[in-house]
Amino acid sequence: MSTAAIDWGQLFELVWAGALAGVGVSVAFATLILGGTRAADHRRANRARVASAYIVLAAVAAFAFAGSVVFGVWVIVSK
Amino acid sequence: MSSDVILVIVVATALAFDFTNGFHDTANAIATSVSTRAMSPRFAVLLSAVLNFAGAFISLKVAATVGQGIVESDAVTTTVVFAGLVGAIAWNLATWYFGLPSSSSHALIGGLVGAAFAASGASAIQGDGLVEKVIVPGVVAPILAFTVAGIAILVAYRIVGRLRPGPVNRAYRLGQLVSASMFSLAHGTNDAQKTMGIITLALIAHGDLPSNSFDVPTWVIVSSAAAISLGTYTGGWRIIRTVGSRIIKMDPAQGFSAQGSGAAVILAASHLGYPLSTTHVISGGVMGAGAATRLSAVRWGVAGNIAIAWVLTLPAAALIGAFAYGVSSIFGSGALGPLVVSLSILGVVLAFFGRRVARGQVLTADA
Repeated sequence: MSTAAIDWGQLFELVWAGALAGVGVSVAFATLILGGTRAADHRRANRARVASAYIVLAAVAAFAFAGSVVFGVWVIVSK
Repeated sequence: MSSDVILVIVVATALAFDFTNGFHDTANAIATSVSTRAMSPRFAVLLSAVLNFAGAFISLKVAATVGQGIVESDAVTTTVVFAGLVGAIAWNLATWYFGLPSSSSHALIGGLVGAAFAASGASAIQGDGLVEKVIVPGVVAPILAFTVAGIAILVAYRIVGRLRPGPVNRAYRLGQLVSASMFSLAHGTNDAQKTMGIITLALIAHGDLPSNSFDVPTWVIVSSAAAISLGTYTGGWRIIRTVGSRIIKMDPAQGFSAQGSGAAVILAASHLGYPLSTTHVISGGVMGAGAATRLSAVRWGVAGNIAIAWVLTLPAAALIGAFAYGVSSIFGSGALGPLVVSLSILGVVLAFFGRRVARGQVLTADA
């Protein structure tokens, strides 16, 4: 056994890609919650323009989260 | 006649391993969801079992790679495979009994390595393959998951920290439904294929399938899918309790951060051709999600026991695999050895679980 068996380049790629994916999914979902909740609050308070801005934010976050799910399913299917 | 009996024993043992793999790894997919009440325990195991079953039909690429690059192919006989499976099953049952999450895949590799070592000596083991496929991912997975889940929960708290907790918790519970489903589907696709691969190898060695191609028969796919999903539905409640509530007491945001970011890490790694253990990732993620908020939130004694189990998985399964091979070979190269070993194990398991069921101490969804 030796450290020559370790592909350091691939390992480095794994670390940054894993970190980016993991944190990215969490940020996207938290932003989706923020957008959705704030949009509902502002709509109740009759602030339609602010509510619309939060709806856009929620939609972008939802798109990013859904995209990560679709990518995940694609990885599973193509494995 | 003798080789027919060995084949039947190997197929039955492989399906038994598949079953233990299912119930041992249920915790990876559902423990955080059950703990945060995102799903009821019964619904969680049902959803996970269905997706494990479906996942087993998606791909067959992993099946052709079982043991490749770790054990020399000419050292792999049906008796070696049988003894390796015994090592993996025994380690899965032992860690389940103590409620410790450990990698079923590493246990299987350990069992095969031990049995091959006992059969053909050190030359049968490819050390570099062990480093590349078991030891490095075994070290990287929990550290990466710990760090990523820790950062993820801190960022999430920053974003949603000032919102009303009711809608936030409800949303995170919904998110856990998605992340648990992804975990289950990935598990069914990956782990059921290992059993399919083992059974197919045994059928090729027996001469029932041509050796120049690797076509998995339909009955092998269906039976492997059924065994892993049945095991998942049975639920390894001891391990579910450890991962879900004994490492940290988690809120829905922590549960999602551990599981959602864990699923993302596993799938990103898988895309890069680096298979990480779901057990190592989810356990590391749960610890990271707890430690990021407060170091003392993690029960480090429990975490330490889990780490010890991970370190011991490969050597312990190898020792048992080697022992099983040694006992089998006492009775010659025929079917008698595997028959004696499998009947002995069945007797011990039935005696142990029969007594526990009679005493009513087996953990269930309601326990």
